[in-house]
Amino acid sequence: MTDTATPPRHSPLEDALGLVSGTTLCAFSLQILTTLGLITGQTAGLAVLLSYLTGASFGLVFFVVNLPFYWFGYRRMGLRFTLKTFASVALLSGLSMLMDPRVAFETLHPAIGILVFGVMTGTGLLILFRHGGSLGGIGVMALYLQDSFGWRAGWVQLGFDALLFAVAFLFLPPLLVVQSLIGAGIVNVVIGLNHRRDRYIAT
Amino acid sequence: MPLPDEYRQSHTPLEDLQGLSIGLIAAALGLSFLTSLGFLTGQTAGLALIIAYLGGWSFGIVFWLVNLPFYLLAWRRLGPEFTLKSLGCVTILSVLVDLIPRWMAFETLNPIFGTLCFGVLTGFGLLGVFRHKGSLGGLGVVALLAQDRFGLRAGYVQLAADVLIFAAALFLFEPRVVGYSLFGAVILNGVIAFNHRRDRYIAE
Repeated sequence: MTDTATPPRHSPLEDALGLVSGTTLCAFSLQILTTLGLITGQTAGLAVLLSYLTGASFGLVFFVVNLPFYWFGYRRMGLRFTLKTFASVALLSGLSMLMDPRVAFETLHPAIGILVFGVMTGTGLLILFRHGGSLGGIGVMALYLQDSFGWRAGWVQLGFDALLFAVAFLFLPPLLVVQSLIGAGIVNVVIGLNHRRDRYIAT
Repeated sequence: MPLPDEYRQSHTPLEDLQGLSIGLIAAALGLSFLTSLGFLTGQTAGLALIIAYLGGWSFGIVFWLVNLPFYLLAWRRLGPEFTLKSLGCVTILSVLVDLIPRWMAFETLNPIFGTLCFGVLTGFGLLGVFRHKGSLGGLGVVALLAQDRFGLRAGYVQLAADVLIFAAALFLFEPRVVGYSLFGAVILNGVIAFNHRRDRYIAE
């Protein structure tokens, strides 16, 4: 990289539209996930599981579950990232609560639902990442723990998801947990193949 | 500003395959929201939707048929490779839009959320298709031809086609349907206008 090649920046309007589009896709795909009774990974997965167990709305639980993580975000990634993440989480929570009574399925084939969930969430998260946002907590906490205690961030994230799915096996039918794993796999493939700073260069 | 050679990079065939698959699935999903609501959009898809609603036919089949004349133009104007790619993408999209409602149908779909999701999802789907060398042919080909032959700006030709489609819709459908449809079309085109930038997504 030469120092003349500074990456172009998104304008605040572009970032705002990016966050709205990304969270809209995620909120819609969470309707699919919860209709099928499935879970996913990370803080969203924790919130889905807690909302199943308590009967509280996903949007509210998700908002609350993320609160402790902003501290890690602020320490590790700075104010801009933390504010964008807070805005994304708040938008997703709000959109989820608005959509819940307004989007309902008459027919939803599990295989198609899982595929659609994976593609929509993967795309939604990709948009959020490309606009400098995120949907919260675990990844940033993992980075912070790596810096502070030398724990490998990847293992912390994987450990969290492994624990979440292990707990899910106690409460949900095994078939649903396996289907959830497939959905989470698709999300990660979409992000893995497409989240490339060398190709989408704006920040 | 053109990129220096060391920054140029290509998608591998596998990457294009995933980009086209995800793009076409996303575009088809968005269109299935639109058809569940009975709303319209612009371009060839909009024309096909009007015909499908009025005739009570399947949107996928009408969309596939409406695109046929454009391949003749595309073949002469843009070559066999582009034409065959368009035919492939249009065929897959047509099949998907007819199949999806069998597996995924709505009991309730709020028109605002449905239209918003259509615009965002189909917009990003088309963006994925364009970035991975796909095409959905259609009116865009006529617009390019008009620009070459008669010096008319391609963008304006496409806009004029949409104005005609929506003007016709005003006579054929309720104002509510046309209003929501316009809202969706604005989001769809906004997503593409804001994001289809060769200077930011640089892989080819």
